Amino acid sequence: MLTLPTLTSTDFLPLWPALILSAGACLVLLSEVFLSSASRSFQPLLTVIATVLGALVAAATVFSVPTGVFGGFVVLDPFGSLVSLVICIGVGLSALLAPAFLRGRQAERGEFYALLLFGGAGMSLLVLSNELIFLFINLEILSIATYALAAYLRRGPRPAEAGFKYFILGAFSSAVLLYGAALLFGATRSTLLPQMGAELARIFTDPTLSDRQPLAYCGLALIGAGFGFKIAAVPFHMWTPDVYEGAPTPVTAMMSAAVKAAAFAAMVRVFLVLGRGIPGDALLTGFSTLAFLTMIGGNLLALPQRNVKRMLAYSSISHAGYLLVGVASLFVKSGTTKGGVLGVTALAAGATPDTAGALRGILFYLLAYTVTTVGAFGVLGALERRDDEVRGFAWDLDRLAGLAQRKPAWAVAMAVFMLSLGGIPPMAGFMGKLLIFRSAVDAGLVGLVIVGVLTSAVGAYYYLRVVVYMYMRPAPEAGGLPERNLSTELALVLSTVAVVVLGVLPGITGTWLSRGGSVFLGR
Amino acid sequence: MTTLTTWIVTLTVFQPLISAAIIALLPQAEKRLVRGWTFLSMFMNFGLTVLLYGLFDPKGPEFQLEQRLQWISDLGISYHVGVDGLAVSLMLLTGFLGPLVVLASWTSIENRVKSFHLALLLIQSAMLGTLASLDVILFYVFFEAMLVPMYLIIGMWGSEKRIQAAMKFFLYTLAGSLVMLVAILAVYFLAQPSGTRSFDYAAFYNSLAPANRELAACLAGKAASCASMSPLAKALGVYGPWMFLAFAVAFAIKVPMFPVHTWLPDAHTEAPVAGSIILAGVMLKMGTFGFWRYAIPLFPVAAQQMRVAFAVLAVVGIVYGAMMCLAQTDVKRLIAYSSVSHLGFCMLGIFALTAEGAAGSAYQMLNHGVSTGALFLLFGFLYERRHTRNIIDFGGVARTMPVFAALFLIITFSSIAVPGTNGFIGEFLVLLGTFKSTKVPMWLAVLATSGVILSAAYMLWIVQRVFFGPVVQVENARLRDVNGRELATSLPFVVMVLVMGVLPGFFLDRLETSTRRYVARAQVGLDVQQRDEDTRVTVLPLSSPTPVAALPAGTSDQR
Repeated sequence: MLTLPTLTSTDFLPLWPALILSAGACLVLLSEVFLSSASRSFQPLLTVIATVLGALVAAATVFSVPTGVFGGFVVLDPFGSLVSLVICIGVGLSALLAPAFLRGRQAERGEFYALLLFGGAGMSLLVLSNELIFLFINLEILSIATYALAAYLRRGPRPAEAGFKYFILGAFSSAVLLYGAALLFGATRSTLLPQMGAELARIFTDPTLSDRQPLAYCGLALIGAGFGFKIAAVPFHMWTPDVYEGAPTPVTAMMSAAVKAAAFAAMVRVFLVLGRGIPGDALLTGFSTLAFLTMIGGNLLALPQRNVKRMLAYSSISHAGYLLVGVASLFVKSGTTKGGVLGVTALAAGATPDTAGALRGILFYLLAYTVTTVGAFGVLGALERRDDEVRGFAWDLDRLAGLAQRKPAWAVAMAVFMLSLGGIPPMAGFMGKLLIFRSAVDAGLVGLVIVGVLTSAVGAYYYLRVVVYMYMRPAPEAGGLPERNLSTELALVLSTVAVVVLGVLPGITGTWLSRGGSVFLGR
Repeated sequence: MTTLTTWIVTLTVFQPLISAAIIALLPQAEKRLVRGWTFLSMFMNFGLTVLLYGLFDPKGPEFQLEQRLQWISDLGISYHVGVDGLAVSLMLLTGFLGPLVVLASWTSIENRVKSFHLALLLIQSAMLGTLASLDVILFYVFFEAMLVPMYLIIGMWGSEKRIQAAMKFFLYTLAGSLVMLVAILAVYFLAQPSGTRSFDYAAFYNSLAPANRELAACLAGKAASCASMSPLAKALGVYGPWMFLAFAVAFAIKVPMFPVHTWLPDAHTEAPVAGSIILAGVMLKMGTFGFWRYAIPLFPVAAQQMRVAFAVLAVVGIVYGAMMCLAQTDVKRLIAYSSVSHLGFCMLGIFALTAEGAAGSAYQMLNHGVSTGALFLLFGFLYERRHTRNIIDFGGVARTMPVFAALFLIITFSSIAVPGTNGFIGEFLVLLGTFKSTKVPMWLAVLATSGVILSAAYMLWIVQRVFFGPVVQVENARLRDVNGRELATSLPFVVMVLVMGVLPGFFLDRLETSTRRYVARAQVGLDVQQRDEDTRVTVLPLSSPTPVAALPAGTSDQR
């Protein structure tokens, strides 16, 4: 019946980042139990070390030979390794932001870091999952850790609201995804993604199996909707602003960077592997529509926000839209002459789609967005005060007024992040957009790219408004500033440098990312 | 020597950036040190642009002093810089204005001095980079990078409505250039359907030019050639006008052409003196330069099809700008609208497609930088004394400030193109070219000529209202005349006005090759190109042709 595969050391290779992160989490928890509160101050350091080690291991596996391990449940491929690397960077930077934030709220406890690391472990496994049940389990590991983190500051109504909303909607989306997986299992009799892809191809070509087609379509749509919730694509975005606003700011940073990267990567893997056999433009139309709605919705909703944290939440939705443009360009089939939501695709008629280029664009965008958004939330988190959160104006634009005089270095950092989010050269965000739009134009999705650039111009308005407040408005009289904190400033310096370097010399990631794009196992 | 010729452009572009990095390390309180160092760096930069101008051989090839290095090699983006006649002249203008801008704001900027000078140096680098780029993405990066420091200069040191004006400036320009980005990407894939693609200007131009020729021949009525057109030529027939428009809108906003000029009066008026000088002096030229270098040569056929429309818009700009000047009550707004009118001449010359028109347009770009820059500078002196921009607040200023009035009058003469000043040469050449042009209707040239008369009207009228007549307001009776620093700042402008007016040959020599090439490239769209002119852009190979590390053997693409 069931034969257990023999495990070799290569089988564990892809698991190392997750193992290191989990080990770090266990150490943090043990220290919480056995050490007095005075001697636990090393917990953030331990967390950061774990993420750095995880990142190094993930980086080391980028150039190893890609294989499927654990009977094909887990894949070791450069794409997965690189996303793991991005996740470790995101979690590590968020962890650096945490100590000052938690100290300001008398909430320094080890569970926070343990949950962060467990969540990171779930994420790094998620991107390697090549089997639907394993994927679902990892999705739950990361989700449960994030639910708990969102409600971590128990006092006050906002964290409770955030945690509860996130939990209800997250559980709902997981259920939707699971239902889709069940339907697809019904159609394909398998949960291993490559086998499902092959079976789907058969379903859509063999006329005797055509009665399974509706089942397959429903399953794919439901899985897509489930991922749509996780990546906060319009119209599945409703939870995002409330949860992002209510969660502790370092957690919001982690959610908008690492969780989003993990969910995107998993979605790309699932649909790339399954999508092989799906005829016509079903996936292209689906993702183009989603990208179209998300870019427009995210940017328009961000426009009126005075609350910077909510603005960044909507901005994170709009960036999901740009990433979805890249995802949509993965599904243009060769020889397609029309398609896409706006129907302007004739440029690349007959050309072979450059999947590797599109994947590389997505990877670069994830990396650029991670360092930028963590930095932006970092500045915001450092500026907010506990007593204002209750009254709800902790994140008002006024909080940033005159920052250029009060804290020039922070203002420069925040301006760099805002320009990067707005896609202004020479910041990383511009290069990310250039790469994504490049592959989309290559695939012929010119209409979608035009929507993308026009919404970027809209986006520039609300990002620049932050710069206006920092540089062009006088500082309020009583503007208490937080005391200096080494780890927060380290995180800000690292992200600022990364944003500028990635923007000016994106070529330094060239070999890595092109490997991540071209070597994609399971297709 | 070869090292110098290889690196001179790079050095000129990045020297202000390096100086800016040093400024960032200086203490905030040392205002004099910051100002002095910025002046010194700008002066060195001016020296470099003069050296560049001297090294540029008027008889040599079109693009000179080129350098091409690896940048983002797997996307075909390289660091490729080099100058042609127009670029080197505009770079000289940029370098010339640099130190004067610092002097102009010596006393008017008192708060956040360090950030201000940092922004000035950053903008200098970005402008020089835009002019020197020969890679389209590099150009785009510099073109956009200009926006942020300018936005900060307007928004942080401007007058009352500065934030609104800065935002308008930024969003207008950004929206235009983002649309251009889509067109750049479309050209990249369309013109290079397979093989190694490149964003290099030479690659863009050389791959589009044959297709444009085929298309032009087909449209010229040679029916036989339509059937045998290459796919690229067919695609250009369909998408060419759209891509041309995408480029043209981005540059038309920057110029600014009527009807997308509305950001300009606000931005010029609210900006501090330095911001106005840079905006009027150099930044507007990025628009005309873009038409000259990118929009028209890349899509000559589409440009032909829309030529009359653009020429009409240019003339509307000339006349409308001049009319608006007559109606202004605010001196800075008046100068701003006069820019709309003057840049209309540049655009008309570009679209006239005659050697005289193009040369006049290029010359007019330089003139406008000098004369309008000087007008903003001189009014800045008056504004520092009176803190008002309303024309009715002045009157009789010539009695209290005779030297100042003399300076202002000379610049006014340049602005209204009195013979003997630089403005005359430029406008005369543009009008001559337009009258000679067979493709632009004669009545447009006639209408444009009325702009010259109108400009004399509004400029002389403002001189009369500000400088002559009785002294109505007591403050005007107590004004002190220009001091040494102010005189030192304005004299170079006066000298340039006269030198460029008397010795135009010196400057036109360097513009000659690039004018001839521009006209030949634009005439590709007419199918009447002169036989002897080769329009191709010489391809410069990468200096270090090491490709990106290939994938390790054995792990090839597994898709």
